[in-house]
Amino acid sequence: MVAAVRPAPPARPSGLFTRDDVHGDLVLDADVVIVGSGAGGATIAAELAEGGLDVVVLEEGPYATTSEFNADASAAVRKFYRDGGATLAIGNPPVLYQEGRAVGGSTVVNGGMSWRTPEKILDRWWREAGLDGIRAKEMEPYYERVERRIHVRYQDPETIGVDNALLKKGADAKGWKVIPNLRNQVHCAGSNNCAFGCPTGAKQSALVSYVPRALHFGARLYADVKVDRITRHGKRATGVVGRVVGPTGKSHRITVRAKLVVSACGAIHSPALLTRSGFSSPSGQLGKNLSLHPNTKLVAIFDEPVRGWEGVHQAYQVREFQDEGFLFAAVNIPPSILAMTTRHYGHELGELMRDYDKMVVAGMLVEDTNTGRVVTVAGRPQAFYQLSDFDADKLKRGVALLSELLFAAGAKKILLPFEGVGDLNGPDDVRKIFANPVPKSTMEVVTVHMMGTARMGNDRSSSVTDGFGRVHDADRLMVCDASLFPTPIGVNPMETIQALATRAAAHVLDNIGSYR
Amino acid sequence: MSEYRHPAAVRRVLESMVAVICPPEAIELGLAPAIVDHVGLTMGALAAPFRLGLIAGLLTYDAAAMAWPPARGRRAHKLPTALAERWFKLWLHGPTGVERQLVTAIKQLLNLAHYEQPEIQQRMGYDPQGWIEKVKQRRLDHYSDDIQKHQQSLVSPDPLVKISLKAKTKEVA
Repeated sequence: MVAAVRPAPPARPSGLFTRDDVHGDLVLDADVVIVGSGAGGATIAAELAEGGLDVVVLEEGPYATTSEFNADASAAVRKFYRDGGATLAIGNPPVLYQEGRAVGGSTVVNGGMSWRTPEKILDRWWREAGLDGIRAKEMEPYYERVERRIHVRYQDPETIGVDNALLKKGADAKGWKVIPNLRNQVHCAGSNNCAFGCPTGAKQSALVSYVPRALHFGARLYADVKVDRITRHGKRATGVVGRVVGPTGKSHRITVRAKLVVSACGAIHSPALLTRSGFSSPSGQLGKNLSLHPNTKLVAIFDEPVRGWEGVHQAYQVREFQDEGFLFAAVNIPPSILAMTTRHYGHELGELMRDYDKMVVAGMLVEDTNTGRVVTVAGRPQAFYQLSDFDADKLKRGVALLSELLFAAGAKKILLPFEGVGDLNGPDDVRKIFANPVPKSTMEVVTVHMMGTARMGNDRSSSVTDGFGRVHDADRLMVCDASLFPTPIGVNPMETIQALATRAAAHVLDNIGSYR
Repeated sequence: MSEYRHPAAVRRVLESMVAVICPPEAIELGLAPAIVDHVGLTMGALAAPFRLGLIAGLLTYDAAAMAWPPARGRRAHKLPTALAERWFKLWLHGPTGVERQLVTAIKQLLNLAHYEQPEIQQRMGYDPQGWIEKVKQRRLDHYSDDIQKHQQSLVSPDPLVKISLKAKTKEVA
């Protein structure tokens, strides 16, 4: 019999603990406890730790190193996405949403787009939500700081693949505005594995930027910890209680006593954590106002080889219709996930997938006008979201425009993300999208941008937190993630979350006396 | 993730559905057991209520065939392929959303698993790991200095207090 030799796990940074390190119940004391280590949690952790505070971060997901990321897409989805990526907002159509669940949060598996909040959105937040100090000029130092830390740059040209070049070719042919994407990367190699963990370490996810920085300045991070609730004394948050399954399979309790509690577990889980901890909002808005930038995709088949997996994900964005509320980009997805999302099966699927190397998958993001809600049932969140007729029409119009672009780039056939129209075999077919009824129930809508469920505002009667994320009617409790957005922002949200987290950290450090 | 393993009855139904749902090469290459194993991995990552719903749905799908006259009292996994296809289509276009959603979910899991098989990816000429290795090396060859410089900057002091004052100054201005 040959003894199995397990490779030694990669060395973990000092201050980072996983389930393997927990052998009994733990009680920790800290100045600040942060629940979640993604765009919001890791950023505020690093800033507060550098500011001299004793910070503990609790992360539900596992810790992985860059060397563990590879092309095994479904293994990554199982390990680094909540519930294997199968999370659904109930509605017509149901919306499949996905959240990262790992040290570094969703930044580990996002596309790496880094855009500042559009100025018109910040103006709206200032005007409608009464938020002071939130306009573009005032936010600029925070954006600059975040961009320095996560190295926001345009892509090196040699990494741009054929699929993105075709998207640009189509936009240019139509005379539409197309811009290179700003991405958080240090010479991204174009491995096209963003959504499954960057295998080169080029993408500056929180895992390789803010988390190491937080640890360097003395923060402690516990992975694999599920936080059950925030502890409280009256309206004052006093810490959190969670649990971790240790190396022997036994569950251990982790208690953190802290002077400030920060919920940074995203727009689905932050309202659930607050609710199951007994916090509510006098406005009744906690869990409401869920926006999610509905996304859909087209598959265009070309005559020429595209090999969409060779080259960076989303090198460009088509911004021609940003004022109407939608963006286009090329978003290659692995054959397994593509096959999963088509309506085909059996022999027909086999025939379709023979052309996988000639496909351009193009996606669109819609700035939505309707809102849904997150309801906490038995401690677990359930999202509900109804695509409005207006947004459904917008989605149809976007699909038609994107089809025109792809035909202009040379596509021979386009598969649509809804039923009732069939495939498009040329530009003249685009009109079929409007000539036929498209039942909303058949629209394939997905998202990775959930926002708004603990929205900021100056008015306690219509918001959940103040402009720094401090929960109204609670003491020493902050929210620090996309829950805070008063409205959808129409662009990728990571940098907005990070800038708001930096601003919130500055506020805490400026008022440190209140948290001692 | 849980340590989920298919109950035998679930495994039987899924294996029988490979011939209906996956491209023909799944059977030609003898991949059905591997595909069903992969479905098990995915089901292990799902939320428990979702997983239990799928299991209950699959068992119902299997047993309900007995009441379908063309099946002549047989369970779905015992049907010959042509009849199994008809039974699947009946559910896929069924009158209630529940039937449609169940078989759509099963279709998705099986097709995901089919195209995750190394044999299938090889046949397609899909080698993303080869591409990753190539460009990873290219990056290191060309940009090591920049990479190191940024890594150093990540642990260099840069106190926030400065910018909070700067932002305040802009706010006042």
